[in-house]
Amino acid sequence: MIEQAAEAGASAAAKAGPAAATSKRKPRRSPVLYWTSTASVVGGLLLWEFAGRFIVKKALFLTTPTQIVEATINLIAAGELQRHIIASGTEFIIGLVLAIVLGIAIGFAMASDRYAKRALGPWVAAFYATPTIAISPLIILWAGIGIWSKVIVVVINAVFPMIINTEAGLRSTDKQLIEAARCFGCNRLQVFWKVSLPSAVPFLFAGMKLSIGRALVAVVVAELFGSRAGLGFLLLQASDAFNMPLLFVSVVILAVSGMVLTWLVGVAERLLMPWRYTSEQE
Amino acid sequence: MGAKLQVKDLSKSFGDLQVLRDMNFTVAEHEFVAIVGPSGCGKTTLLRTIAGIETPDAGAVIIDGKPIKGPGADRGFVFQQDSLLPWRTIWKNLVFGLEVNGRLNEANLADAKKLLQLVGLSGFEHFYPNQISGGMRQRVNLARALALNPEVLIMDEPFSALDAQTREMMQLELLRIWQRGRKTVLFITHQIDEAVFLADRIVVLGRRPGWVKETIPIDLPRPRDLTVKRTAKFGAYVDQVWSLIENDVRASIVEDAQLPAA
Repeated sequence: MIEQAAEAGASAAAKAGPAAATSKRKPRRSPVLYWTSTASVVGGLLLWEFAGRFIVKKALFLTTPTQIVEATINLIAAGELQRHIIASGTEFIIGLVLAIVLGIAIGFAMASDRYAKRALGPWVAAFYATPTIAISPLIILWAGIGIWSKVIVVVINAVFPMIINTEAGLRSTDKQLIEAARCFGCNRLQVFWKVSLPSAVPFLFAGMKLSIGRALVAVVVAELFGSRAGLGFLLLQASDAFNMPLLFVSVVILAVSGMVLTWLVGVAERLLMPWRYTSEQE
Repeated sequence: MGAKLQVKDLSKSFGDLQVLRDMNFTVAEHEFVAIVGPSGCGKTTLLRTIAGIETPDAGAVIIDGKPIKGPGADRGFVFQQDSLLPWRTIWKNLVFGLEVNGRLNEANLADAKKLLQLVGLSGFEHFYPNQISGGMRQRVNLARALALNPEVLIMDEPFSALDAQTREMMQLELLRIWQRGRKTVLFITHQIDEAVFLADRIVVLGRRPGWVKETIPIDLPRPRDLTVKRTAKFGAYVDQVWSLIENDVRASIVEDAQLPAA
């Protein structure tokens, strides 16, 4: 059938070359739109600097961006800032990775096994809604003020969005796609790897974004309750000494980390889900 | 002509609800058979049973004299347009069946390339399904089923999601492709005129439970083009099928109104 028909198809192929249907719509970005974010940030900083120099004046009440930059440079020169960033960063990364791996594993168990769903469901629902950050002093008490108490706090805060999103993602797989895959002879394992898991990837990313936000907060709060180093420790030290520029160094670094991480997830999404970022045809 | 596909005394119930009752029909080799029925005729269950993912209570689905046991590459399926995997490119979708059946060898891949050409989609290998039109997606669906070189091609309302004009073009395309190799086809549809236009025979189903009401041979010359649809004979066939299912369709509308959940 195929051989006989190949030459007949050639004519049809010629009629509808790729160019006919692609219509890749590249939205034309106006230069004004492009610079809006930058202008907003720069404008905000200028306004802040102005208010700090001419309106409030007292550094205790309102520190200025230039003072923060100065404090940052001094801190780097003393080798202090690096130490705090490495401490918090280590806790954050270990905790987040553990939360993601555990979250996917538990979410998968809940999506594929009825008993697991029944057994774990109430716990997940309860912990997801509770501000587990409130029990971090308890964790510090149990696990000490070293790195691992912080890792535990990060995990119990960041794991639940991951569990819930993984389960929802695996469950929400289009029944029609699963049915089609089975008709083509897919066994259960193939249905999971080739249909359910790829279709859950957007949910996994959504869970990851939530987990990253929660993990960042968790690291700082856990350090506030007891630590020897880290950005939370720096924050506490500065506020005890009424050193506002120093306090803001820590806040700014956390804000920038949040932005960088969100951007990184965006890059990963584009790499792993190219079909979501291709132009749609109407 | 020997029967390529035979549905024999097929019965299936879910709890108290009987969905199929002693269903019998055959599709001969190289024959194009369309199945038409009102909603509630058990078409989904019939399809799942032929696919081998549902086991019948009684009876059997027989291909080349052998009852089927579970899914197999001897049957190729074409579903509605959204059954393509959105994260796979056109090419990766096309070879999906070969891949899961462990048949990704050079000869089959070369055949798949020819199939892509046959359905007019050469050059679209690296596109994703959301980048091409509904009609093109259905060509990929058709090519994906043919890539396994199945004994029987089973098409489940493949054009129902397309607009009326695209649907007509796809019907013509399907006939053009079918005319070349004359695969055995079982085509399920709600469109009576589509069934008359495409098929050698129409199997009309009744509802609740599903059973074969009548089989109507369509004696229209091939190859057919769209002008056939304006002939008196074509209209007479459509009327004949419609009169067979009219009461059932009315009944199903009344029932749907009463049971919105179903």
